[in-house]
Amino acid sequence: MTQIKKFLPYFIAILAAFLAAGIFIAALGFNPFKAYETIFSTSFRTPNGFIQTLIKWVPLTLLALAFTVPLSSGKFNIGAEGQMIVGGIGSAAVGIIFADLPPALLIPLIILAGILAGSLWGLISAWLLYQFNINEILTTVLLNFVSFSLIDYVCTGPWRDPAAGHPTTIPIGENGFLPMLIDQPPLNIGVLLALVATVGVYLYTNKTTAGYELVVTGANPRASKVHGINIRQMFLFSMVIGAALAGLSGAIEVSGTHNRLIEGMHSNFPTLGLIIGLIARGKNQAVPFVAFFIAILEVGASAMQRTLLIPVQVVLIMEALILIFILLSDLIRRRQK
Amino acid sequence: MDQSAILEMHGVNKTFDKVVALSNVDFELKQNEILGLLGGNGAGKTTLMNILFGLYKMDSGKVLLSGQPVTITSPRDALLKGIGMVHQHFLQINNFTVIENIILGSKVSQPFTANYAKEEALVQKLCTQFSLEIDLSARIETLPMGTRQKVEILKALYRGVKVLILDEPTTNLIPQEVDSLFQTLKIMVKEGLSIVFITHKLREVLSVCDRISVLREGKNVISLTRKDASDDMLVRAMVGEGMDLKNSVIFAEGLVSDQKTNKPAILNVKGISKINADKTQAISDIDLSIHEGEVFGIAGVAGNGQRDLAEVIMGIQPSTSGTVFFGGEEITKEDTKERISRGFVYIPEDRLADGFLNKVSVAYNLILGYHHLAPYSNKGFINWKNVKKSSKEMISEYNIKTTGPDEIGGNLSGGNIQRVMIARAFSQNSKLLIAHNLTRGLDIPSMDFVYKKIKTQSATGVATLVISEDLDELLLICDRIAVMYRGKIVGILTRDKFEKYEIGRLMSGYEQSQEETGKGK
Repeated sequence: MTQIKKFLPYFIAILAAFLAAGIFIAALGFNPFKAYETIFSTSFRTPNGFIQTLIKWVPLTLLALAFTVPLSSGKFNIGAEGQMIVGGIGSAAVGIIFADLPPALLIPLIILAGILAGSLWGLISAWLLYQFNINEILTTVLLNFVSFSLIDYVCTGPWRDPAAGHPTTIPIGENGFLPMLIDQPPLNIGVLLALVATVGVYLYTNKTTAGYELVVTGANPRASKVHGINIRQMFLFSMVIGAALAGLSGAIEVSGTHNRLIEGMHSNFPTLGLIIGLIARGKNQAVPFVAFFIAILEVGASAMQRTLLIPVQVVLIMEALILIFILLSDLIRRRQK
Repeated sequence: MDQSAILEMHGVNKTFDKVVALSNVDFELKQNEILGLLGGNGAGKTTLMNILFGLYKMDSGKVLLSGQPVTITSPRDALLKGIGMVHQHFLQINNFTVIENIILGSKVSQPFTANYAKEEALVQKLCTQFSLEIDLSARIETLPMGTRQKVEILKALYRGVKVLILDEPTTNLIPQEVDSLFQTLKIMVKEGLSIVFITHKLREVLSVCDRISVLREGKNVISLTRKDASDDMLVRAMVGEGMDLKNSVIFAEGLVSDQKTNKPAILNVKGISKINADKTQAISDIDLSIHEGEVFGIAGVAGNGQRDLAEVIMGIQPSTSGTVFFGGEEITKEDTKERISRGFVYIPEDRLADGFLNKVSVAYNLILGYHHLAPYSNKGFINWKNVKKSSKEMISEYNIKTTGPDEIGGNLSGGNIQRVMIARAFSQNSKLLIAHNLTRGLDIPSMDFVYKKIKTQSATGVATLVISEDLDELLLICDRIAVMYRGKIVGILTRDKFEKYEIGRLMSGYEQSQEETGKGK
């Protein structure tokens, strides 16, 4: 009963979002029922659809966690985009420079380089917060812009692939490609890495003493400080962990999905990551499930555009509507008290 | 003499969420009387009066003013009908003068200039009539609490109230100011007002009230004139049948202990000073030593550095100079976590801001601060099995009303949040307990429970530092009392030298008794 009560507002919010988006689709002159059928069946009708969904799920989950882990301590990391890009740059650099190393060495190195580069990028904001109390929202957003220039430089600089029509580096060494779980349709082990990261975050925040300190710092920093918790350290840790997760997603994109660094490879994942984090109401445990749901919508959206010619943006509108309705349901519940 | 009722309330009911605050309460205030509305915390006194003053709406019931049924919709409406209220926390603008505060929100004769001559004359007349000595051009922030309260009373008088409600008016006053307040109340009644005096202090109602009404758990218990009232009757009425008075700390024995200063000192504070970021002195040159098993009190009007002292001893704020020793070892540089590991326990003054986590579960709250110690923590992991087990034990021992350890903290009522703090503090193997306003917001049986806990703990050698604005509480439970004034300790008294008026003088900043100001009893 209480479980039903807990999830009911979400169902209503999602339903309301579909209803509103449906009216919008109908107003555009399309059949909303057909559109929804396409959106929801694509991921499950063919193996390829399902694998496409999983591939999208990886960055969505990691980037949403990059937002929610710092949020657990009460800090807003809006810089997952930049951290992912810099993580990707780190991976690509290692993958190109050490292209001849054996896979057993090169693959872990590439992953590690991505995580490290992302963390360092996040550490800039985290340290500014720790040392000078500079607002982390500001610094993370601003560092995103720096990262755009950085990736532009790398993709058009000495590692530029002259054959490509778009700013892109040359491929990383073949030994650095992520191994495949399934060959046809192709699915690399990135999905396992994301799963490990998700479980790791869960164990950290729910089972460890340090994780307890992280969560209570987010719940009430002042009370946590009074009770002996070094809250500034918690802010720093959580920001760096979030950045590391974003860096990991950059590494997976480079060594798994594209095998090279491509400008714009982050697509709209970071924005969706924020939306997922907010729909999950900042709860780390809810993130992988919400991310899966959004991945279904995203894959379905492309199919819908291909077969029904409905613009893919409709789905982005729908995702935003879900978020708005969930926030609205919070407001209504608070009013009822 | 036979007086008619100026105000009556009949069958008042009020519930908050699911909590019944008032059930079928009747209330009567007669012309020209001081009525004491007596009861412990949570008895419903303030709720009842807030309804009268238009701050809350009652669920059912009626109000009669001079025999005529009225509905009071807002405080403004209440003032128009001649009902005024002085709250526990004054609603004043600190950098305005007395006269500006008094006329704020009322119509003035010359609205486009700052010329208040006419109003000032009127207020001056009221001052003479009620013999209130206040400098009307003084800025509020420069005045002591007792005078600020008189400003609140003047505010009500200026608006021509016939009925004045005072909510726990003696809370922040020193004994001399309490005497002076009682004088004022008597004059006001003579001048034709009727007064409701809300309090939980027995002695006060017996010394100033004409009639006494007792509320308990939102119900009427008794109403009687002072002639008919006795200590025992009122105590019984306030606490109910359930409490064992003979073995209570509050009503029977106090917390007298023997020769604790013979035991070794466990906490030594030497020359501690702290200068705030804005260069003001928070505390200066504090010397203290507390012995094992001792209950050491710090008295003082709120805001004289008590909180800074507590936080420096806990290591929450660094001191600017001075040293802290614990059990002979210097710990000046240790952080809060290390001190907690040594057996420090702290109950902060501002419970909600500094002690409670609304967004996480009761179990999370119950281990805050001790989460890194056994049995809650094991090699970096929280042992949730132990946490759940201890939480359940604490919930039942401390009578916390919750659905269980997993309930979100924010769902708990204020009184239960208090119990969570108390449970957390007293469930530790502590060596030093620092408690700031330990029993604020607790009902009488819970207060007594806490005092008993302190007594048992100090018998085993735990030192206790109690910081309180409630002088009666300190007199009841402490072995020694230090008085703080403007960040300094201005005097330390041992139990055999406890004297209320002497402490009152120290609290108000007189170094030594200059003359007999407040008359003794």
